[in-house]
Amino acid sequence: MNEIRKVGVIGAGVMGAGIAAHAANAGAEVVLLDVVSDAARQAIDKMLKTEPAPFMRPTIARKISPGTTVEDLPMLADCDWVIEAIVERPDIKQELYRAIAPHLHSNAVLSSNTSTLPLTVLVEGMADDLKRRFMITHFFNPPRYMRLLEIICTPETDEKRVEQIVAFGDVAMGKNIVMAKDTPGFIANRIGTFWLHAAVTEAVRQGIGVEEADAVLGRPAGVPGTGIFGLLDLVGLDLMPHILASFETALPPDDPFHKLGTVPQLLEKMISDGYTGRKGKGGFYRLNTSDGRKVKEVIDLTTGRYSIARRPKPDALSAARKNGLRGLLSHSSRESRYARTVLLKTLSYAASLVPEIADDPDSVDRAMRLGYNWKSGPFQLIDQIGPAWMVTALTEDGESVPEYLRMVGDRSFYQDDREHLLQFRHSGYAPVPRAPGVLLLQDIKRRSQPVFQNMSACLWDIGDGVACLEFTSKMNSLNPFILAMIDKAVSGLPSRGFKAMVIHNESANFSVGANIALLLYGAKFRLWPLVNWMLKRGQDTFQRMRFAPFPVVGAPSGMALGGGCEMLLHCDAVVAHAESYIGLVEAGVGIVPGWGGCKELLGRWTSCKDRPGGPMPPVMKTFETIAMARVSKSAVEARDFLFLRPHDDIVMNLDRLLYVAKERALALAETYSPPVPYTLNLPGATGRAALELGIRDFVLKGIATSHDALIGRELATVLSGDKTDALDQISEDRVLALERSAILSLARTGKTRARVEQMLKTGKPLRN
Amino acid sequence: MKSVVIAGFARSPFTPAYKGALARVRPDEIAAQVVRQLVAGSGIDPSTIEDLIVGCAFPEGEQGFNIARLIGFLAELPLGVGGVTVNRFCGSSMQAIHMAAGAMQMDAGEAYICAGVESMSRIPMTGFNPMPHPGLYSRYPQAYMGMGETAENIAKKYNLDRQQQDAFAVESQRKATTARNAGHFTDEIITIETPAGAVTNDGCIRADTTIDSLGSLKPAFSETGTVTAGTASPLTDGASAVLVTTEEFANRHNLDKLARIKAIAVSGCAPEIMGIGPVKSSQKALQRAGITVADLDVIELNEAFASQSLASIKDLDLDLAKINVDGGAIALGHPLGATGARITGKAAQILKRTGGRYALATQCIGGGQGIATVLEALS
Repeated sequence: MNEIRKVGVIGAGVMGAGIAAHAANAGAEVVLLDVVSDAARQAIDKMLKTEPAPFMRPTIARKISPGTTVEDLPMLADCDWVIEAIVERPDIKQELYRAIAPHLHSNAVLSSNTSTLPLTVLVEGMADDLKRRFMITHFFNPPRYMRLLEIICTPETDEKRVEQIVAFGDVAMGKNIVMAKDTPGFIANRIGTFWLHAAVTEAVRQGIGVEEADAVLGRPAGVPGTGIFGLLDLVGLDLMPHILASFETALPPDDPFHKLGTVPQLLEKMISDGYTGRKGKGGFYRLNTSDGRKVKEVIDLTTGRYSIARRPKPDALSAARKNGLRGLLSHSSRESRYARTVLLKTLSYAASLVPEIADDPDSVDRAMRLGYNWKSGPFQLIDQIGPAWMVTALTEDGESVPEYLRMVGDRSFYQDDREHLLQFRHSGYAPVPRAPGVLLLQDIKRRSQPVFQNMSACLWDIGDGVACLEFTSKMNSLNPFILAMIDKAVSGLPSRGFKAMVIHNESANFSVGANIALLLYGAKFRLWPLVNWMLKRGQDTFQRMRFAPFPVVGAPSGMALGGGCEMLLHCDAVVAHAESYIGLVEAGVGIVPGWGGCKELLGRWTSCKDRPGGPMPPVMKTFETIAMARVSKSAVEARDFLFLRPHDDIVMNLDRLLYVAKERALALAETYSPPVPYTLNLPGATGRAALELGIRDFVLKGIATSHDALIGRELATVLSGDKTDALDQISEDRVLALERSAILSLARTGKTRARVEQMLKTGKPLRN
Repeated sequence: MKSVVIAGFARSPFTPAYKGALARVRPDEIAAQVVRQLVAGSGIDPSTIEDLIVGCAFPEGEQGFNIARLIGFLAELPLGVGGVTVNRFCGSSMQAIHMAAGAMQMDAGEAYICAGVESMSRIPMTGFNPMPHPGLYSRYPQAYMGMGETAENIAKKYNLDRQQQDAFAVESQRKATTARNAGHFTDEIITIETPAGAVTNDGCIRADTTIDSLGSLKPAFSETGTVTAGTASPLTDGASAVLVTTEEFANRHNLDKLARIKAIAVSGCAPEIMGIGPVKSSQKALQRAGITVADLDVIELNEAFASQSLASIKDLDLDLAKINVDGGAIALGHPLGATGARITGKAAQILKRTGGRYALATQCIGGGQGIATVLEALS
């Protein structure tokens, strides 16, 4: 009764369609209705072409049944949850609720995705029974990727229904749920809009350039790469006047928001001239392509004229690097003064809103981190600056000091009692709650010392006899230290009472792959024995891990590329976050997978029951995946490439990943025996010839360069087993030796070295 | 020599691979429905049929085992009717007709069903397990050359530019559209029943094709080439079948005779210009029939590519007005194994429809071959 099996979404605009797609990603059957005939169908078609993809796999689109609100309301009859995402007009929403009410089953939840309207207004005139099943569920755009879901209920809302939506939103949709109060803009948009508006009005007032503003308010404050003005371009400048107007009306007269001032004239002119941001002719930034090249330009906030972007580095930045946020805010430059005004106003505003908009600092911080991609939430930033220092600074600047900030005094909003992370509430410090089934490595790290540690990896005891291997190298690239840590784990964990290991970290990316700088070094100085040793070292370690006497479970999130992917391929099981982007991308740097990636993928395709018979399909599938450097766009898609196997798990909520992985490791440990090595029947020279036919076509079509072709031929030699015959079984060791030999041959070419060099310099692949 | 005739012709709708209405239907099932309806429609007593010969270019997977025998079972032909699968790539089902005609000259039966089938959705064009001879591949790679590359080679060799090829393709689409609208496919297409519903119409024809729309396509096989998806026959699913009997048998059993098989031929050529295959084979067949190109009233020249069609037309000095009057494979599609029976049946059908005397059906074959059949009207 409490499960959400079917979801209805009304309104096939960007948000409605995106929510429908994500509900389908979450496994629900979905009904998507729009008032305009065929709009729902068109929205689904459009989403199939959208990047980043709203669907985790294109076939998921089939779970959505499109229709219209004019004819198809009966389709809602068996929906357990109906989400309204139509125009922000209370009268139209209320009319819709009246129309759909008779079609809802008696336990169905109805929610609105409104970002501006109060719940109390939406439920006006609603029957009491439905009112108890009504709430606001506020998703962020794009719904698949933004992890925040704000839920707003009233004391009358049926708790069971709230639990039902929280459970589905959390576990199935993978959202981090913040319970917000029924106040204008809820949490994230209330603070976020204030912040954006303050940044624009203060820049105009203080005569600060767009680029300078983004430089000081961006990276130092942990704001995403777009910066504030870039973010406004992305959101759409034309939305701002509407959002601001709605806050003007909704917020009480004494709200500090009103003091920020009105929309600058320049912004109004830009909008009327069609400069509405990235979707229009450009915004604060634009790409000028008039002379055939792409030149990034930036607007002058005084004159409204565009000029070439200069990427300035104000002195205030070095102050921030040296002395952190406080260094930035106490620097004497104009830019620093600007950053100080905007940040202090915003953080002070946030501090003044607890408990009005949320019960505790953690709710506010999570909302800003997950809804606006801030690296740290407002209270974490205040802690970085120092609450007491901030009180002094506000006083110096003649700004009022929120009571809540005064209350915390010399202390900080967060404290650590080793057992819990505590947060300051009006009633004193209390633990930041962790839901059952949530296990965070940061919590383990806060309260314990690593079992083993070196320069690039740590082993943590995550309880119940399970260890967690964490990478700590730059971008989690794999290097000899990490390999040494795995060796140490394999030999040292059992005697310390551990029975399983999980490989996991809380960085944005699981691992970007092996550190190719070492390969470049070896190749440049022709240290071939060193290159061979490095390859063998990785292969041996991964094999030791695979045949270790205890189970190893990989728990990736974000990118797991190259060596990172190979590591997962050697795990007994993988519990992947749904947003895992897995791939063997070695061809991009001019080599083939050399730490067992070829061998593992071949083994997997060979044992795959659904593949066509004969010796070639596993070879061709593996070739295609590696030669095209295919990266899955989700964990679901990773199954198609066999990076994940049918028995591997996918977890939607990142905060639950480690817990599920640990449970999986413990379950495996109960009856564990290491896997049996693959024996492979590879086709030999005929297989290589077949693959060469394909390579030749690709070169002819201009899809592959001559160096791509060379890499392809080396890969073909590895995957076909070189001089073997289809009747002969060859061992894993033989394929591993072929991997090494292919890389040693490719590393001797200047073009491979150029690829490696460019990747190290720019992070982007070179096609040569 | 005995007089051997085409006494019936049927085919499934031809639909685009992967996205078409037949993509999810097994090829043996499509072919069986065609055979069953050809038999029923012709009125032949099935027990009089000697053999079912089925052409198929990639006889593996669902086209594997001996698909001809299995089609016989599926079509519920009497157990006494044989079944043999034959592969000459694109020429497979025309070869089936040649084999039947030859066997009847040996008094080996009086009636054959010669069919062809290909699901290019379900069995990839190189098969599931392409395993070329590595030694041959290294010293003579053209033995395995992709068809697109051979089409480019011909375009270069014959100086056929993009505009000429596009114009030929537009004409093929126009002729197919006109023929469809005139009902010229009604008699030959049989309905295929599928779990998703009945499939009754061809799916490949693009009636709205223009020179401009083709002009916007990028080369499909070579970055610097002239052959595009619009001037190549599309990957297609479909099956076709003809009833081949002695004239005497047809008369005795009151069958609807379309045309007599006058002469047949196969020939080889360089694999890298396999598209020129129709030239030599047609010349041989015409000579064996004792006629010249000038005597032909109807020509079915398989359009694997516009470039090879144009080159063959040039070398054979064929009259464009007589070629593929109901459209060719660029418009209709080219399910490899099924095409030979389609164009032979079509040539016979048009011959009867237009009252001409001689028809030629000919096609090129991957690996460097040609095949041709000359038909003569029955007086």
